[in-house]
Amino acid sequence: MLGGFDIVVIALVVLIALVLFASVKTVPQGHNYTIERFGRYTKTLSPGLNIIVPFIDRVGAKMNMMETVLDVPSQEVITRDNATVTVNGITFFQVMDAPRAAYEVNFLENAIVNLTMTNIRSVMGSMDLDELLSNRDEINDKLLKVVDAAAGPWGVKITRIEIKDIDPPRNLIDSMNRQMMAEREKRASILTAQGMRESAILKAEGEKQSQILEAEGRREAAFRDAEAREREAEAEAKATAYVSEAISKGGVQAINYFVAQEYIGALKAFATSPNQKTLLMPVEASAVIGALGGITEIAREAFADKDERPVRAGSGSGGSVPFTGQRPEPSGDIS
Amino acid sequence: MIVSAIESLGGWTWWILGLVLLGVEILAPGFFFLWFGVAALIIGVSAVTISWPWQLQILGFAVLSVVAALAGRRFFGYRDAPSSDPHLNLRTARLHGRTFTLTEPIAEGSGRIRIDDSVWRVSGPDTPAGTRIRIVGADGALLLVEPEVPLSHD
Repeated sequence: MLGGFDIVVIALVVLIALVLFASVKTVPQGHNYTIERFGRYTKTLSPGLNIIVPFIDRVGAKMNMMETVLDVPSQEVITRDNATVTVNGITFFQVMDAPRAAYEVNFLENAIVNLTMTNIRSVMGSMDLDELLSNRDEINDKLLKVVDAAAGPWGVKITRIEIKDIDPPRNLIDSMNRQMMAEREKRASILTAQGMRESAILKAEGEKQSQILEAEGRREAAFRDAEAREREAEAEAKATAYVSEAISKGGVQAINYFVAQEYIGALKAFATSPNQKTLLMPVEASAVIGALGGITEIAREAFADKDERPVRAGSGSGGSVPFTGQRPEPSGDIS
Repeated sequence: MIVSAIESLGGWTWWILGLVLLGVEILAPGFFFLWFGVAALIIGVSAVTISWPWQLQILGFAVLSVVAALAGRRFFGYRDAPSSDPHLNLRTARLHGRTFTLTEPIAEGSGRIRIDDSVWRVSGPDTPAGTRIRIVGADGALLLVEPEVPLSHD
């Protein structure tokens, strides 16, 4: 049914379709294609619509030009002080030069991961465990410099290397925890001791202050007491002076007056005392009564003076008598 | 198949083929079926108006496909396609012309600078640290720099 020409035409159409398929290359954003002419790199296709020469040009490698993150697997690292820690990390890289990344290195990602791993070992192996745990920034920085320089010829820029986990072995973690706890306990006991010291000082100071205040109070009180005694003595002296004056003016009867007053007071105290069964009569009760007689003498004199010669006192001369000379009966109110 | 279809349906076969190819292009983008679709539609227009032998129609379709692809590259190729961010994925191109302070001196043609919290290797004339340098180019991940103010050699 079909002639030879017809078949040729159909084959031609199929060939043209294949040629178009081989020569029209649309590179998506974020990628670069390398082109090989007879297997040799010639140029790089940028994102967009590209047409290459069919039959002789071929797409070699399709390079991802976006920044890519690579996991650096866990590995054991021996630090300078012989602690074995398990370390893993991540690396960010970006292809800057597609043909170099495609042809200068085989298995680019594998190469970067291994480069990073070996450098982690050498950087961390030259540090003590304590440094390792506290200087991550420094480690990242060193790693980045070394690995970036090494990856440079591959047309790759290492943008970041981060150490993710640093895991010391279990027993090391335990002893680190113990160390940390001991340190905190040390601080706690130091603080407690300091507190106790300060409180003792404060207490002692308070006591000192209170004793000083007390002593001052006593001193003040003593001063006042002395003053009072002085004042009392003064008053006593004055009283004595008055008494002696009175005596000098009024004779012995005046003394009797005072004595009698005291005496009667004492008897009264006896009388009101709850223990009334025994009454000790002073031996010289009669003398007391005599003293009372003395009082009448005084009174007589005094009143006589008042009535007759008010200026002169103590004279024995008589006058009108309110007290008739009768002696009061002591027994009446005492028994 | 196409031959018998052309014989029974005439020029409309090309219309059907063209529309199907355009549909395929939308479903599977790749700027591949588009050119065949465009060529098929053009042949379809001519086949409906003029009556050609089908062999010539198929040849014309093949040639038009290639022409369409070439024309497409001319009009939509990456060189002419405007991009609002032409430096996308081109980090070194973004850094071109910017100035930085050299943190490590350039000795024997290589040094380092910090850019955006990463360290870049730079290459240029020997320069002491602290000098302002301008990025003038790049070789892979290596930045080519020169001092912002030319160094005086005395």
